[in-house]
Amino acid sequence: MDAFLTSRNVSDILHGLVNGVVFGLVGLGLVLIWRATRVLNFALGAMATGGAYLGLGLLSYQVPFWWCFLLAIPAGMLLGGLTERFLVRPLYGKPEINPIVAMVGLLILIEAVVGSIWGTRQRSVLPPFSYVDFHLGANVVQLSPLAVFQVTAAVVLALAIGALFRFTNLGLQLRASAVAPEVSRLLGVRVSRMLTLGWMLACGVAAVAAVIVSSGFISGLTPSGMEGPFAAGFIAAAVGGLESPTGALVGGVSLGILESFVTDYWNPNLVLPVSLLVLVVVLMVRPHGLFTRQVVRRV
Amino acid sequence: MIRISGLSVSYGAVRALRDVSLDVPTGQITAVIGANGAGKTTLLRAISSLVRPAGGSIDFDGTELVGMRTEEVARHGIGHVPEGRGVIEEFTVLENLRLGALHGRGKLAAGLETQFELFPALASRRKQHAGTLSGGERQMLAMARALIGEPSVLLLDEPSLGLAPIVTRDVMMTIRALCVDRGLTVVLVEQNAMSALQVADRAVVLHLGVVAADDRAEVVRADENLRHYYLGTAS
Amino acid sequence: MSTTEPRASHEAASLAGPPRRRGAVREIARRVASAVVQGRRRHPVLSRLLVTVLAVCVALVVTGLVSGVTDLDLATGAAMSIVILGLSFLTGFSGQVSLGNGAFFGVGCYVFAIFANHNNTSIGEDLLVCTAAGALAGLIVGLPATRLRGPYLAGMTIAVAIAFGSLIDQFSTWTNGDQGLNVQSPVTPPAWLANFIGAPISSLRATYMWRADITVVVAGIAFFLMANLFQSRRGRSMRLMRENEVAAELVGVSLPAARVTAFVVAAACAGLGGGLTTLVDTTVFGSLFSLSLSIQILTLLVIGGIGTLSGSLIGGLLYAYSITWIAELVSGIGLNSTSNLSSEMNNIIFGALLVITVLVAPLGIAGTLRFAISRRLAGRRSQN
Ligand SMILES: Nc1ncnc2c1ncn2[C@@H]1O[C@H](COP(=O)(O)OP(=O)(O)OP(=O)(O)O)[C@@H](O)[C@H]1O
Ligand SMILES: [Mg+2]
Repeated sequence: MDAFLTSRNVSDILHGLVNGVVFGLVGLGLVLIWRATRVLNFALGAMATGGAYLGLGLLSYQVPFWWCFLLAIPAGMLLGGLTERFLVRPLYGKPEINPIVAMVGLLILIEAVVGSIWGTRQRSVLPPFSYVDFHLGANVVQLSPLAVFQVTAAVVLALAIGALFRFTNLGLQLRASAVAPEVSRLLGVRVSRMLTLGWMLACGVAAVAAVIVSSGFISGLTPSGMEGPFAAGFIAAAVGGLESPTGALVGGVSLGILESFVTDYWNPNLVLPVSLLVLVVVLMVRPHGLFTRQVVRRV
Repeated sequence: MIRISGLSVSYGAVRALRDVSLDVPTGQITAVIGANGAGKTTLLRAISSLVRPAGGSIDFDGTELVGMRTEEVARHGIGHVPEGRGVIEEFTVLENLRLGALHGRGKLAAGLETQFELFPALASRRKQHAGTLSGGERQMLAMARALIGEPSVLLLDEPSLGLAPIVTRDVMMTIRALCVDRGLTVVLVEQNAMSALQVADRAVVLHLGVVAADDRAEVVRADENLRHYYLGTAS
Repeated sequence: MSTTEPRASHEAASLAGPPRRRGAVREIARRVASAVVQGRRRHPVLSRLLVTVLAVCVALVVTGLVSGVTDLDLATGAAMSIVILGLSFLTGFSGQVSLGNGAFFGVGCYVFAIFANHNNTSIGEDLLVCTAAGALAGLIVGLPATRLRGPYLAGMTIAVAIAFGSLIDQFSTWTNGDQGLNVQSPVTPPAWLANFIGAPISSLRATYMWRADITVVVAGIAFFLMANLFQSRRGRSMRLMRENEVAAELVGVSLPAARVTAFVVAAACAGLGGGLTTLVDTTVFGSLFSLSLSIQILTLLVIGGIGTLSGSLIGGLLYAYSITWIAELVSGIGLNSTSNLSSEMNNIIFGALLVITVLVAPLGIAGTLRFAISRRLAGRRSQN
């Protein structure tokens, strides 16, 4: 058992978990927004960064980690809400390219504003968990208390979102607004409010992903630091079909583990190209992703 | 009572409703009939604020509905079963009903009991996805979902669409019963003019966006001259 | 009048409007203008060629009149306008969005630098090679585009843009990673040019002007070819694709082939623009090809106007001069030039411009002007 836990392959898997949950959370955010408003939020990574900086920026004033962690979430939600309300809403019903372009503009705008306030130097915060890996006898298991915390936080968050959507009346209205806005209106659901709320939730989730990235031991956060996780999160979500939250989470974790293997056995520079290749192959075979049940061509 | 006066609706160059005025009396069934494209659906969509009228007013017991948001109209107690039924296929029967009860007046548990009594076919399918229901079952679900919110007005857009004649008669009887038992006000839009006229108290005939007749249902039924409007045989 | 009509004919037609005071000069102007319109109708390719030659000649004269630094700016702008033109075709005609054109541009830059350094070839051959390399990259990225739609495709290209950085690292024996590459003076100005402006051959003035002249001529050729593509039957039927794919299929456009072609054309343009940029700058750095470069290209396209020739020119010039303008702005409002804010000013302004353009004037500068002009023309016609 010990030999198994410290073996190279298991180490790779454990190592890939932390990245994987980050990708999964970003992918989940993308799916929530896509389902609700049919917008692919290219600025999600940057918005998450913005939220995390708003929260973690406080660390330089010696505010405890937990406060910052808890602050990053509402900060991300605020960014998400404002964006939907003032930037995305005027673009509903416009050609598909318009929201894409607007989100891309927002992406560089947020990164630049964050950079102009906090600088482009890497910021990492030390959470109250040790980053020293567990040991089994003389051997190292590729897992630290910090990693356990990061993965747990992500899993708890994902479960909470799942429960919200499945079991609560709010979740029912969020889902209804996404799939059948007109019918929902006829039943008294305040759909535009639900769409804003969907964006807020998604950006809150992504902000947690950014906090996880910034609380890593080596990897801190930079203004453009979520570009890579965004690309991976997009790939995860797209492999799942952009419609399926479960697909995004599963895809994210699998991608994280795959990347860990590519890094270990092959070459870290090839991580993103390989992920891209996976995406292309999956979408060539199943254009609507692996987790989408029915194939509906939207006209 | 819903009092519609001078209502006009345009889709671009198409003028779907022109200066339409009519009253929908409380506690009665008002049938709206007319050929394809006469503007019947548009009338209901205007009441629910799904389209913005170019002019006119819709007064509901002293409240102006024109300019109100759709969701607020619904919260004022106007239920709307849209054309093509509009059940949420991704949702289970139960979830559809939960959604209907959410902003209504009654309690969910009591409402479910009533609706399952009214539509027993739904009771055994509550966990089933609405996308797997038959056409008639979907119609029942759509009506149950509207009724569970205990609206005071029910707008029904072609409830008989795609239903067997016997089922259509059942549906019409159910509507009649709701009206009599609970004082529900119903606006019944129908292609199937004869069965609508049998249950309705009043009837409005729309022709190319204009009110061609507005009278007691039996009068409209008896009027041979009106028949070509709603049977679609007019040139 | 359809919006695919070239812009110049609108202007010509507006000149040819109803003469109110029939002065002799006006009358002549009207005749010339209507002759131009007639000529464009009858010999579209020839008149396009004439316009291009005329524009290139004017630009060449300008490069002789302005300073060396301005020459470099002009050349940068001309090179970038080719890149934007390619994306304009891709987006305006096939309705696909690419956020990865910075990567195609980068392929052009590196291939030009490496090829020119390793072979003793003429500038023409170097440029052909980098164009072909760009086209090949476009083919590779474009093949999946036969299956991917809107957001999926845009997301894939953004991943390409981000992955490009790690590919540069991966091939650092060729690309020299962060240190970057230098190109040993790819072209030397001819003696007559030096004599003409009265500066020695080796002077910066002559070198810069010669590089600018090459770039302007190549840009002229590229614009001429693309203008013909824009106006060709094929181009026009492809434009339908953006509005309605089914309709485009009905008029005989093969969607997968058209999608890939559009990618290849766009990437070839980006490769050519990259080669020219390297010719002008003589250095290539990996850090240039970040995601924000791809986004900047898209920004310039949107601001200039998607699917128009003039919009691409506007975008290219905006690119060349934005750096100077923004630096002036920074010093003008008294910002410390080493502060975080001033180093991010470029992206703040471009990001904000992009967002504002989409919200306020989604047609861009060229599209909005064209729309206004054609509306005035229509107004005049209905008056008559
Ligand atoms: N969204 C729309 N855009 C443009 N025109 C529309 C739209 N909806 C309806 N129309 C037009 O308005 C007119 C009235 O349509 P409406 O749907 O109200 O007719 P209807 O009486 O419900 O017909 P049917 O019995 O066939 O359902 C028709 O001419 C129709 O073509
Ligand atoms: Mg109808």
